[in-house]
Amino acid sequence: MQLLVNQVLKQYATVKAVNHLSFNVNHGEIFALLGPNGAGKSSLVKMLTGFTKPDAGKISVTIDDVEYDAIPNWALGYLPEDRGLYPEKSVIDNICYFAQLNGMTKSEAKEQAAFWLEKFDLSERKSDQLKSLSKGNQQKVQLISAVIHRPQWIILDEPFSGLDPVNQEKVVTFLHELKKLGMTVLLSAHQMAMVEKIADRILLMNKGEAVFYGTLGEITQQLGSNNLVVASYVHAIDQEKITELFPNDDVVQINNTKLQVVCAEKDQLNQVTDKLTKLGALSSIQCQQRDLHQIYIDAIEQHGETSHEA
Amino acid sequence: MKPNKSKQVWLVTCWEFMHFFKWKQELISKLIMIAIAAMVYFWQVVKNDDVTIYQIALTSQSVVLQSSGQFKFEYVDSTALSAYELLQQEDSKYDAVIAIGPKIPSEQQQLILTVNDKQSWHSNLNTEILNQYRQTIAQQLNLQPNQLALLQTPVSISQEYADQAIKSDDEVSDTIAIVMIVLMAVGIFTSFGQLFASITGEKQQRVTEQLYSCISAQSWIDGKILGQLLHAIKAMITAGITGLLGYAFMAVVINEQSLDLAMIDWSFIPWLFIFSLLGIYISTAFIAAVAAAIDDPNHSAKTSMMLLPLVPVALVFMTMDDASGWAMSMLSFLPLTSFVAMPVKMSLIDVPLWHTLLSLVLGIALAAWLRSGAARMFKMGMTMYGKEPSVGMMFKWMIKEPK
Repeated sequence: MQLLVNQVLKQYATVKAVNHLSFNVNHGEIFALLGPNGAGKSSLVKMLTGFTKPDAGKISVTIDDVEYDAIPNWALGYLPEDRGLYPEKSVIDNICYFAQLNGMTKSEAKEQAAFWLEKFDLSERKSDQLKSLSKGNQQKVQLISAVIHRPQWIILDEPFSGLDPVNQEKVVTFLHELKKLGMTVLLSAHQMAMVEKIADRILLMNKGEAVFYGTLGEITQQLGSNNLVVASYVHAIDQEKITELFPNDDVVQINNTKLQVVCAEKDQLNQVTDKLTKLGALSSIQCQQRDLHQIYIDAIEQHGETSHEA
Repeated sequence: MKPNKSKQVWLVTCWEFMHFFKWKQELISKLIMIAIAAMVYFWQVVKNDDVTIYQIALTSQSVVLQSSGQFKFEYVDSTALSAYELLQQEDSKYDAVIAIGPKIPSEQQQLILTVNDKQSWHSNLNTEILNQYRQTIAQQLNLQPNQLALLQTPVSISQEYADQAIKSDDEVSDTIAIVMIVLMAVGIFTSFGQLFASITGEKQQRVTEQLYSCISAQSWIDGKILGQLLHAIKAMITAGITGLLGYAFMAVVINEQSLDLAMIDWSFIPWLFIFSLLGIYISTAFIAAVAAAIDDPNHSAKTSMMLLPLVPVALVFMTMDDASGWAMSMLSFLPLTSFVAMPVKMSLIDVPLWHTLLSLVLGIALAAWLRSGAARMFKMGMTMYGKEPSVGMMFKWMIKEPK
């Protein structure tokens, strides 16, 4: 069971929302789709779910040796970015309706709903009208509605948005459980810390193109070093001194009093720190490892410049 | 697990129906209907069992009236009292007093009827007095009963038409045709109002994408239309029964007549039912497609298109006076109008069976095409947010699904 996206293009008027994109998602993995607003994630998701069709290229999903041009409805659990259920209906009615539409019997739907509601601490609210729940709890109900029928493929668009940190952790646990149950999860998110915890592989998109694609380790390797030194100064930094002291280093000036240097090797850290102290009166200096959040920002900035130059 | 499509359609149908079915409201309205029906029934029973006898005082011996039915006439020699005083006496047993009025130039006698207040039996008393006087005068003139009957109805006029298809009882068939149009309009109004609210509501509540991930646009639209079709049938039956009860109430309780339903041609009901279903299906499919394209019902210019399904009803209403004319004939075959025109035409004139069947087949063909076209429009419209499609775009989608 695999999803293959090969040179897929989706164009709206003159805008290429998805520009000859290729990647694959393997069975049983958690695959994260990252990218800034307007990167083309939603257009891609709409093609994967079969809502729209690519203008060029091919999407192929193989399930039990049968090939489909999008994930078929019966194998899909989907949490859309535009969320919403029936606010006037009860929590249990909403969940059971979607479960039954996905082929479950009423009794199976009730049994599974009770199981998942218990997991999300919502058992006592099952007969309440959906609109009486908080936004976060409504989102949990929608998440349950998307996966209750245990589909083979799950697409979750921003599953962490609107949730507090405790519930974000619950969703992380929930996704691990889905993985254990043999489901393949494709998610898009902006909470990098969460993605770092759960994603097996990542596709970072910008302007419809793939910026990075692979495991977090592979991405770090592609980007070079993971070590950063961030220095803040009391007064504005002299530009000439920066060029003089760091002629070949990867330096990013964040503002006129703040500087970030990437160290290729860990043993260069002391050398870089020495050079930084020569730039002026320091207010603070920190050595840190680049996390996914930093990688994401750096990569998008870098890609933005490259595509602009191109 | 692969869900069964027909089960999905049925689920959406039930969900759609129950969304607008309020148990409390239904129970109250049905209880009111049962109460009216019970009142009509008991009124009729009580009226038959308990006939009130009215005592009528005659103050002059020259007024000759025989007691009959519910009226008992009695001569009262009380010249000292006026008719008013006679009625107002403490122990008065009389309900009315008849006195002789002043002479008028013709040979006609004038009677003065004094009563306490206005009551419905007074008109029956008038009829009784007139009948008795007619017979007395006929006897004086040596007229036989048949001669008297001839005088009362000297000629019977029956209207005939060169177009033999026109049904003879004009007034009744006109009434039935109008009832037909009203019932159809009730069904169409109910389904399209609810479907509009339901679809724009789902779109605004952002349920559509979640739904599309588990059900096809075709199954979804089929379920929604079927749910509304059930509502329309319920509304038409309820309106029909309410109308009948109203008629029964007027006839039995207000006018104190017996209930006569002979004017209803029961064999026509199945045809009405089939054409109504077809008409409601066509109009709801159209409404579903248009409503799906509306982003905000408060600001969309397309809401005016929702009035289009009423056009066939209005056209038929305007042309039904000439039921065998070319306009009505054309409307009864045109699939967009035939669902109203054909049943109305059938209630007014005799229509050959093949005309009815052809009209039905053409209507079904249009409904089948609209079903798939509307599903395409529905699918595209329901996933578009922020920007509404143009009418031109909608027609394109109706014919072919875009990429």
